[in-house]
Amino acid sequence: MAKAFQLLFSRYTLVILACASASMLALPLVLGAIWVKVLTSVTIFAIAAAGTSLVYAQLRLVNLAQVALVGVGGWIMLRLNHGTAFPFEVSLLLSGAGAGLVGMLLAIPAMRMRGLYLALVTLMAAGAFQIIFTAFQFPNGGDGFWGVALQSPGEMRRPLLAPGDEAYLRYTIAVAAICFIIVHLHQETRSGRAWAMIRQSEANAMAAGVDVTVYKVRAFVLAGFLAGIAGGLLAGALKILDSRSFAAGESVLLFAVSVVGGVYGWLGAVIAGLLYRGVPALFNNLGQDADLSLIIFGAALLHAIITAERGLAGQIADAFDGLRRKREETQ
Amino acid sequence: MIGIEALTVSFGGVRALDDLSLEMKDDVVGIIGPNGAGKTTLINVLSGFVEPASGAVIAHDHDLLAMKPHARARWGLARSFQKAQIVPDRTVEDHIRVALDFQHLPERDNERVLGRVLEFTGLTEHRRRIGARLNSAERRLTEIARCLASSPKIVLLDEPGGGLSQNETSLLQSLIGAIKQEFGAMVVLIDHDVDLIRAICSHTAVLDFGKLIAFGETEAVFRNEKVKAAYLGG
Repeated sequence: MAKAFQLLFSRYTLVILACASASMLALPLVLGAIWVKVLTSVTIFAIAAAGTSLVYAQLRLVNLAQVALVGVGGWIMLRLNHGTAFPFEVSLLLSGAGAGLVGMLLAIPAMRMRGLYLALVTLMAAGAFQIIFTAFQFPNGGDGFWGVALQSPGEMRRPLLAPGDEAYLRYTIAVAAICFIIVHLHQETRSGRAWAMIRQSEANAMAAGVDVTVYKVRAFVLAGFLAGIAGGLLAGALKILDSRSFAAGESVLLFAVSVVGGVYGWLGAVIAGLLYRGVPALFNNLGQDADLSLIIFGAALLHAIITAERGLAGQIADAFDGLRRKREETQ
Repeated sequence: MIGIEALTVSFGGVRALDDLSLEMKDDVVGIIGPNGAGKTTLINVLSGFVEPASGAVIAHDHDLLAMKPHARARWGLARSFQKAQIVPDRTVEDHIRVALDFQHLPERDNERVLGRVLEFTGLTEHRRRIGARLNSAERRLTEIARCLASSPKIVLLDEPGGGLSQNETSLLQSLIGAIKQEFGAMVVLIDHDVDLIRAICSHTAVLDFGKLIAFGETEAVFRNEKVKAAYLGG
């Protein structure tokens, strides 16, 4: 009990809570209406990036279907919104659970494959979802199972606590903080230790009593859950979803920016969200083609692979450590 | 007690273990043999990483081959590897805790066992040091500490003395020799260090080309002419 309390209120989680609280207070006050929407999207994709990063950092496995799972979460959220009277939070959790189940299916190839082959299989799964989303679209209040009407007759409900855009940004940041803490708690407890042993070698993990299948599946389910939560929040933010947002290539891009941001902690996920949604919005705002950001991502990915294995987040952490050491030396 | 009966392992056309039968009862049993004799294959069969073509392995009245590898570890079969398997970014404590995680003990007991194995292996002061900062002896000791934390019935050590200095090997020797008394586990030790085997193994098995060429009291085994020819160079 004392250990659980210690973990829950560790320096890491307190920093997350402090940063989240400061962002919730300050951002809606200083940002204009468009940037509130952009930052909401950034936060949502930071949650999705945390899932991609989790699988890569903990198991060294590449999952290129994360944005497709965001689409699955969004589809479930819209379906529940238009088909039931569930509160937003219940639908959000069910979106996470549904995408988590799909994530579990993605874990099946991970039992036998790794490296490039697994990456390709997950990318093909993302391609399959792209086809499904394009063929059937996202529910918008129409009849039947797929719930699609030519003219949207339904309305996407938002949480009672956050009906407006500014409040919804705060709500999204709060959910992101909870998600980052959930990931951290997994990494610091039994799951994290088991993942570390698997990362070293599966034989080593089995020799320590780790059921490799269970713990690989757990990582994929958690990543899927985070994607589902992100999808549910995205549906709440945009109110309608477009299949073009969930193309297979988007998952590759999210993985790339996650590596650039840094896969070992929440800050890397936030940077990934900023790169994925913030930088293209900035180019748009400057009147430039948002695709220019792809050139920057390519260069940044090269930089990360060659010189910064822990990504930009690792470099920021190192810079702070250097400053702290310098200050200690001068005192 | 480990009873091995008619165990055969084939890799393609190569018989890594050839109709091997052996009964190990002593506190510390040594297994020696030249490179490629089948020593590590035997340990891999016992821990479940290699499936034999035929044969049976009964340990403490349990059919080991019927259990999955992780289930064998949870049952009480602990092992170390030729190359110590240490995660660079995880602490010594994390490596030991992973074995405790599957014992399902109350947290207080976890702490007690953790403290005990750290003290036994002399790693108490390195408890919070990450794997990347451990030297080769500390890495070996961390693996042994993890083995002991899992309440083992049998500990399989695959060349634990590899790459250690004379002093470190002496420390290792006294540790391995005390495992049965302190933790109640039988030790099966594979090593090329004849002095280490002589010092702590009451019985020793010698393998060559997958076959058992000698088994018995260690000193008697080392006097065996077949062993001298195959392993000790005449």
